[in-house]
Amino acid sequence: MEKKIKVKICIGTLCYVMGGSELQLLEEHLPEELKKRVDIEGSICLGFCNSNEDEKPPFASVNGKCVSRASITKLINQIKKELEDGLH
Amino acid sequence: MGSNTFIEVDSYQFSKNGTHVCGDVFLSRKVKDENRVIAILSDGLGSGIKANVLATMTASMALNFTIENQPIQRTAETIFNTLPVCGTRKIAYATFTIIDIDCDGETRIVEYGNPSCMIFRRGELFHPEWKQIAINRKDTRDKSMYITSFISEKEDRIITFSDGISQSGMGTKNMPFGWGINDINKFAKNQIQRNENISASALAKNMVMQAWKNDLMKPKDDTSCGVIYFRNPRRMLLLSGPPYNSENDKKLASIIESFPGYKVVCGGTTSQIISRELNKDIQVGLSPNTLGLPPESKMEGVDLLTEGILTIGKVSEILENYNGEDINQDSPAHKIVKMFFESDEIDFLIGTRINNAHQDPSLPVELEIRRSVVKKIIKLLEDKFLKKINLEFI
Repeated sequence: MEKKIKVKICIGTLCYVMGGSELQLLEEHLPEELKKRVDIEGSICLGFCNSNEDEKPPFASVNGKCVSRASITKLINQIKKELEDGLH
Repeated sequence: MGSNTFIEVDSYQFSKNGTHVCGDVFLSRKVKDENRVIAILSDGLGSGIKANVLATMTASMALNFTIENQPIQRTAETIFNTLPVCGTRKIAYATFTIIDIDCDGETRIVEYGNPSCMIFRRGELFHPEWKQIAINRKDTRDKSMYITSFISEKEDRIITFSDGISQSGMGTKNMPFGWGINDINKFAKNQIQRNENISASALAKNMVMQAWKNDLMKPKDDTSCGVIYFRNPRRMLLLSGPPYNSENDKKLASIIESFPGYKVVCGGTTSQIISRELNKDIQVGLSPNTLGLPPESKMEGVDLLTEGILTIGKVSEILENYNGEDINQDSPAHKIVKMFFESDEIDFLIGTRINNAHQDPSLPVELEIRRSVVKKIIKLLEDKFLKKINLEFI
């Protein structure tokens, strides 16, 4: 059984008001073939907002990798990238 | 009366079928520096706006004169002489019941024109001695007030109601002469027997709902019931904000662990601190809610975990705009408000570490300072909802 891609969406105040609220709906926007390969959960503040001045919220993480200025499209692309990397 | 007795005051009402404004008015006030509770019920002549104006004037005057300790005769005469005369009926009339409880539990009740209140002690009706006082009225309306005084005990209940309750059902097959005092007594006694901890809020509502049913869902008159319950306080703890000094993280966790009552944590960082200190996982939710607030989370041992400042801001807004409606919505803020309403004594433990990310000027919304929003909430809970509040900054 292949390991699922873990996606964490930060629901801290800052990320939420900077666009994170839309990311809650990621599941609905996933293409069919990806739905069973991905585990999506919310997360308390991931701390990215305080650690890196240059990266902008909203933040999410895909398999532990930080995604800044996250959007549904960006997250889907990162998920696909993880799947491809996993095949090598 | 024990020092740990909380006086829960609540009321419920329906306006006469077809009117939009209730002609009965129930007011209550906690005079903080005297530790005194005063409740007033007034039933204005007729129904609709005119009745509401009469009842509002009467109740407000009764409340203010009582707070100022004016002699009751003078209060009554001033009210009678001030009320506007109804153009159609040519008289000015509203009833009033005044319930005045001081810090030692000394309870004084003055009744004019309303059905006499029920007082329950240890499951049975309690009958203090009533004195009849004659008053001067130019017209032929009621010429007597009734006064009593006694020391309240824990678990006592005082139930006051307008004649919309006692006369409900009048003209129906079941109760051609109305619900009647005897059956009302039986109903209230039964309610208390079935649930010895029934809140003032629930009891008042149940009385009015029964009267509503008696009238076949179309109230024949304004129908109101107010209940005062001398109870063990239901407690609630709300934590928000990380302690200024992280050495106090342990203290925060131990307070919430041992607290007897509802426990709510507002804020991601605060939640993480509790989670770490108590070694409990946080299950973060992701489902949207009606207000678009960040979703709530779960932790064992805590009743509700929410985001911080946005949620607290919404709570303040809901409390400010609240007008007696039932709280049914699923948002985290509404859940907190519902818990507030079900509690009597609420402890706020507010961390004062500033969240720098919130002060970023490029934020699309203005995030208020936690401290000032909490102070606003506390003022509303004390003044508008008569809750007892303890506030500690950490």
